[in-house]
Amino acid sequence: MNIKQLNILLADDDTDDCIFFKKALDELLLSSHLTVVHDGEQLMHLLINETNESPDVLFLDLNMPRKNGFECLSEIKLSKKLNQLPVIIFSTSFEQEVVNQLFQNGAQYFIRKPSEFSQFKKIIQHSLALIVQENISQPARENFVIAVQNSLFI
Amino acid sequence: MLRQNMIKIKKMDEDELIIALKELACQKEEKEKLLTELIIVNKELVFLKEEKEKRAAELSIANKELAFQNEEKGKRATELGIANKELVFQKEEKGKRATELGIANKELVFQDEEKEKRAAELGIANIELAFQDKEKGKRAAELGIANKELVFQDEEKEKRAAELIIANKELVFQNDEKEKRAAELIIANKELVFQNEEKEKRAEELIIANKELAFQNEEKEKRAAELGIANKELAFQNEEKEKRAEEKEKRAEELGIANKELAFQNEEKEKRAAELIIANKELAFQNEEKEKRAAELIIANKELAFQNEEKEKRAAELIIANKELAFQNEEKEKRAAELIIANKELLAFTYISSHDLQEPLRKIQTFVSIILDNENENLSDTGKYNFQRMQLAAGRMQQLIDDLLAFSRINTTDHKFEKINLSIIIEEVKTELRDTIQEKHATIEATELCSAHIIAFQFRQLMYNLISNALKFSQPDIPSHIIIKSNIVKDSKLNNGKLSPEKSYCHITVKDNGIGFEPHFNERIFEVFQKLHGKDVYAGTGIGLAIVKKIVENHNGIITATSELNKGATFDIYIPTA
Repeated sequence: MNIKQLNILLADDDTDDCIFFKKALDELLLSSHLTVVHDGEQLMHLLINETNESPDVLFLDLNMPRKNGFECLSEIKLSKKLNQLPVIIFSTSFEQEVVNQLFQNGAQYFIRKPSEFSQFKKIIQHSLALIVQENISQPARENFVIAVQNSLFI
Repeated sequence: MLRQNMIKIKKMDEDELIIALKELACQKEEKEKLLTELIIVNKELVFLKEEKEKRAAELSIANKELAFQNEEKGKRATELGIANKELVFQKEEKGKRATELGIANKELVFQDEEKEKRAAELGIANIELAFQDKEKGKRAAELGIANKELVFQDEEKEKRAAELIIANKELVFQNDEKEKRAAELIIANKELVFQNEEKEKRAEELIIANKELAFQNEEKEKRAAELGIANKELAFQNEEKEKRAEEKEKRAEELGIANKELAFQNEEKEKRAAELIIANKELAFQNEEKEKRAAELIIANKELAFQNEEKEKRAAELIIANKELAFQNEEKEKRAAELIIANKELLAFTYISSHDLQEPLRKIQTFVSIILDNENENLSDTGKYNFQRMQLAAGRMQQLIDDLLAFSRINTTDHKFEKINLSIIIEEVKTELRDTIQEKHATIEATELCSAHIIAFQFRQLMYNLISNALKFSQPDIPSHIIIKSNIVKDSKLNNGKLSPEKSYCHITVKDNGIGFEPHFNERIFEVFQKLHGKDVYAGTGIGLAIVKKIVENHNGIITATSELNKGATFDIYIPTA
């Protein structure tokens, strides 16, 4: 699946979660390049001003300082330059209302951060596979939330 | 020098002289050369002098520049002096700051210790918070009841206030009527008083007229007596004056006629006097009657005045009572509003604290899983076992937080009722539980379903909890079979007592063929944290059915559970249709 190097952007203010993410990527042996930002302002600054290769996918935490994930998602989806960027929401909490709102706002997938590291790895691999395999149009609502057990077919 | 040369010459011989001459010539040449050289040197010197003058000029310029530079250096030196002083001061400051940092470091060490203590305290505080959450749940329920009661009391007070307003209006109307009547009575009284006065005047006049008549009667009697005397005199004179008899007889006859007339007049006057006496008596009687009536009217007036005062007092009391009621209502409304705010705050607190607890917990779990994956060979069997127990405990805490969140979310979210067909809700829940349904080989029969007036997302949660419970507590060897029905009923047919007999209800039944429970647990299963099985047998936090009950209550309905051990369970829900 990984024909070319995947350009991954992670926006998360939590150091531990960034470590988990990086560790998971390293262990998955994917050809990927990870860029990490720690708040929403940094993220938007990077996305708007970066003239280099734009990322293939953005993993976006919701609860971030200065500008939260909700605001970033809205800005990305309203921007002509960025609205094609697949955004995968990566959050600790899972609330139906919030998930519905995110789906409406145009997020590609929703992932609840798993508590097992092996699941953490699986879910990242699965979501990256989905991004590589499928086109970037939004999936149906029932496939919006990626759960660990669905990753069996990878 | 020449003299010395002369001496030398005298002493020398010729050869020597020649040599000396040659030498002289040589010396002369040397001197000429030297002279030439001197001239050159002189020129050179002149040139050098010029050069030196130029140089001197340059030097003077350079000197001036140096002087300027010196001045500058002086200034700079002063500045450096100041800068040095400043540096010295800064150095001192740094020394002080280093000391302070030393102190601060010590303080930090102390704070670290304090933080460790505080962390331990927080552990204790967390346990206490969990207990407080339970207490808060109870308190929230109590507050809910208290709120309802307050609402009921408010309604009662509003009714009473409305009644009082009506009563007040009536009193005001009665007061007006009485005041009118009193005014009429006062006018009637005045008239009576006037009539009395008139009658008294008239009576006085009659008494005067009577007295006059009596006086006239007396006068006439006197006159009659005088006439009698005069008659006798005349009779005597007649006898005496027989001669003048004819004339005197005529006269006598005339007098007889006059007498008769006078007698008649007397009689008439007596009659009239008698009539006047009767009229007087009548007037006196009428006066008495009128006085009695006036006295009665005065009493009636006093009574009316008293009644008016009483009514005014009562009206004033009612106004005060009304004001007090209004004040009490306001107070109750304030209190109710405060309670609502307090409730919301409490629930928001639970929600936020549960929400924020998730993140550190998840990280503990992730780190444990990394240790178990990567350090497997380095861990002893006990170490591994302990980490696994830690994982289980953390997993359970996560479940608890999830359930608590769901429980508090039921209270915090706004209630938006809409009419929805229950089959839509059931289908959504079935999709959500797809995997478990397959795993348990369960069949869900949900064909006879009607529409209901519900809060959609809450009802989805309710059905999810009931169906997932039915799946969880299925018999191990029998495939799970769940039947869901609903229809509209009237309470008069149900004879339940808890529901209003006037209203119609949507009755939903969820029936399974699972392990069921002993009948006496049929109320307890709805309480928070109540479980009938150990958590190693059936996982769970005991919040699911509490959420179900809460949701039914949010819909103003009731839920009952019926079961026997190993004979399945049936849940009956009644919610109002509108």
